[in-house]
Amino acid sequence: MSHAWRSQSRIAFCAAGLVLAALVIVGCSNLLTTEPPLGERFDQPLAGLSNGELGDFQDGHTQFRKAFTINEGLGPIFNNVSCASCHSGDGRGVTGNTLTRFSRGTDLDYAEGGPQLQDKAVPGATPERLPSGVDVSYRLPPPVFGVGLIEAIPDSAILAGEDPGDANADGISGRANWVTPASYLPSDDPGAGASRVGRFGRKAANSSLIQQVTEAYHQDMGITSPYRPTENVNPAAPAASGADPAPEPEVSEAKISDIAQYMRMLAPPSPGEMSPARERGQTLFAGARCTGCHTPVMHTGWHEIEALRNRDVQLYSDLLLHDMGDALADNRPDGSADGHEWRTAPLWGLRIAREFLGGDLLLLHDGRAHSVDEAVRLHGGEATAARDAYLALPVDDKAALVDFVESR
Amino acid sequence: MIGRHASAALMALALLAPPARAADTASKKTVPRSTPAAVPVTPPSPAAWGRENAPYHGSLDNITWGGHGELRFGYDVTAGVSDPSWFSVGRVNGFMEAKLSSKVRLRGQAAYDHVPDDFTLERAELVARLGRAHEAHAGIFLVPLGRTNLSHDAPAYEFWERSLVATQILGVPNAQLGLGVNGTGSWSRTTPLRYEVDLVTGFDDGVIMDASGGTRIPAGRNNYSDQNGIPAAVARFAIQPGRGEVGVAIQSGPYNRTRVEGAEIDGTRWVHVLTADGLAHAMGLELATEAAAALIDIPPGLEGLYAERQWGASLEATRTLRAPLFHAWRGTSLSGGLRAETVDFDAGLPGDSRTRVAASLNIRPQPASILRFGWYYEWKRDRFDNLTPLAGLTLTAASYF
Repeated sequence: MSHAWRSQSRIAFCAAGLVLAALVIVGCSNLLTTEPPLGERFDQPLAGLSNGELGDFQDGHTQFRKAFTINEGLGPIFNNVSCASCHSGDGRGVTGNTLTRFSRGTDLDYAEGGPQLQDKAVPGATPERLPSGVDVSYRLPPPVFGVGLIEAIPDSAILAGEDPGDANADGISGRANWVTPASYLPSDDPGAGASRVGRFGRKAANSSLIQQVTEAYHQDMGITSPYRPTENVNPAAPAASGADPAPEPEVSEAKISDIAQYMRMLAPPSPGEMSPARERGQTLFAGARCTGCHTPVMHTGWHEIEALRNRDVQLYSDLLLHDMGDALADNRPDGSADGHEWRTAPLWGLRIAREFLGGDLLLLHDGRAHSVDEAVRLHGGEATAARDAYLALPVDDKAALVDFVESR
Repeated sequence: MIGRHASAALMALALLAPPARAADTASKKTVPRSTPAAVPVTPPSPAAWGRENAPYHGSLDNITWGGHGELRFGYDVTAGVSDPSWFSVGRVNGFMEAKLSSKVRLRGQAAYDHVPDDFTLERAELVARLGRAHEAHAGIFLVPLGRTNLSHDAPAYEFWERSLVATQILGVPNAQLGLGVNGTGSWSRTTPLRYEVDLVTGFDDGVIMDASGGTRIPAGRNNYSDQNGIPAAVARFAIQPGRGEVGVAIQSGPYNRTRVEGAEIDGTRWVHVLTADGLAHAMGLELATEAAAALIDIPPGLEGLYAERQWGASLEATRTLRAPLFHAWRGTSLSGGLRAETVDFDAGLPGDSRTRVAASLNIRPQPASILRFGWYYEWKRDRFDNLTPLAGLTLTAASYF
């Protein structure tokens, strides 16, 4: 009996100890911060990555956030100091870091500093000023999550949605932006080739993430790489010798690759829970023919990263160019896209976008729309019929449709 | 690497050593720099050990020397994701003083900081006594930009790390090349007034050229050569009522180079840093505070990205909970501390800031050594004002040797 009592008291003591330890651990987890749930941020990795891929993800994460100093090569002219300082939380940028692209008609105006205005400069260099009489396009930095999934969508799947001659007479005539990838791309880059379907950027003018990163480093930060080894300079006011003291190239190919791999493995946020009201909004979204361009689901093909292979992608975009009308036209070409055409903007991530934009939404290529309703009202061109269908909806139905879109 | 291991071993030995005559050592071997006989002075507490009251442990003829070191173990978590646990030398510092004549001394002090992996020559100066309470010095020395920069020895500190305002705005340890005078006068019959006025090299263009993610004044610290031909002026005045202290300091000077490879690249640009600090004792607590504000003249090409105004502040409360900790072991003590602090790297933005609270429970096996158990929680905001929470548990040991 005594032995049993001792045993029971020992068990009770251990149980009490475990409960106390559990309380301490629970308390500690709050005292030591908690991890946000999966799908609630823009900077989380895809599910199903291998340990090695997660290591690469972490390396790229570090490089993405690295803020360059002037002595490390920032400039001589530039727009910002790191990838992360343009893409808030890895999502879109804010109006304060809108990029200014310019050209003279189809001439990208390299002689006058085009195609992008660098409005910052290190001591000894002069920021660029916008030449008079040029065509200007303001571009909000786009989200960078989910681009690996976009990369994994085969050209054929994008081309299947084309209807350049509007054969089905629905008023929508999407077409792919055929682009010539940069010659410096490695031959095994998924976006390399003689002519490829563009898919990245506001006008789908880019087919390669390596090229996207290289050009962002070169144009946005003034960071040279083996792919772009010559500094970007202000042609109107060359920098003083020694203003940018870092030797070229300022980053290695490996660093470029780190960031491209990181972006490939960034997961899009999870869409919100469906409810009867949202299901009604989804039906109205399709009924208004928004899905004519904002294709709800596309399918990936083979990709080197297994987590990207053969899976559905709910991006709500057909990745094609569409004429969006005069109100949104920037009258500036980009690849084969003309001044009225824009790539259908993916709608994923809108559910949590406000959290990273100071409570605002900043939609469309330049962030001029602060709500989905405002963005829809600015649609024109091929989207005129869908816009009018939306505007004709009763107030409650409009709200349901908007709620559905903002839950993606 | 070898130096780090040797320093760690030395410090471990110091911690294992029997309780030493630290107070005795301090009283016997301290070389008061500027304390006038006419002014009542309290004996130095561990928290007051600075350059003039360091407990030197070695001496030979006219040379005294000593040092201190710190070991750190920490468990850091960023937004719920733990970083690899780390164990490192936190800080190693060696100092010496040579008496060249009755009125002239040579002082040297060097420190290694694990973060940011920095070796700093904190002191290499000639000091000449000018009467009983005043002296002149020239060489490399810690500028009087706040109380923490003048006195920040790891074993004297109750927290695992110096305050954010000290390390992120003022750049502690911040040593510069220069010359000046310091000493003690009287604010009132019972209240000393301490002062130091120097001309120094000032911050250099690292303030922007080596600054990552915007203006960072510490990136231009420890400047041992002038870049623009104009010295910076730095001064601190502090009154010491009772055991307390209230001080204000300012440093002002150009930080940038105006010519590179013979070509003029910019005009002269100034940085002004103002600090205020205080120390008080009330209800058994020792309260310490430090605040700083900086104005930085930014070249036009960097406006909007590089901050023109920064500020920060910290408030610490520490208390001895039990002394001696063990009845038979005199000199031991148990103390606790709380600290709240914030720094704003860009006052023109809602974000780009860090706010932290920290707690520490400390055991001193002897007055010159400390074992600290610490916790901190930090709210770090990027330039978009996005929040990243950080937290950690730390175990640190520091000792003079």
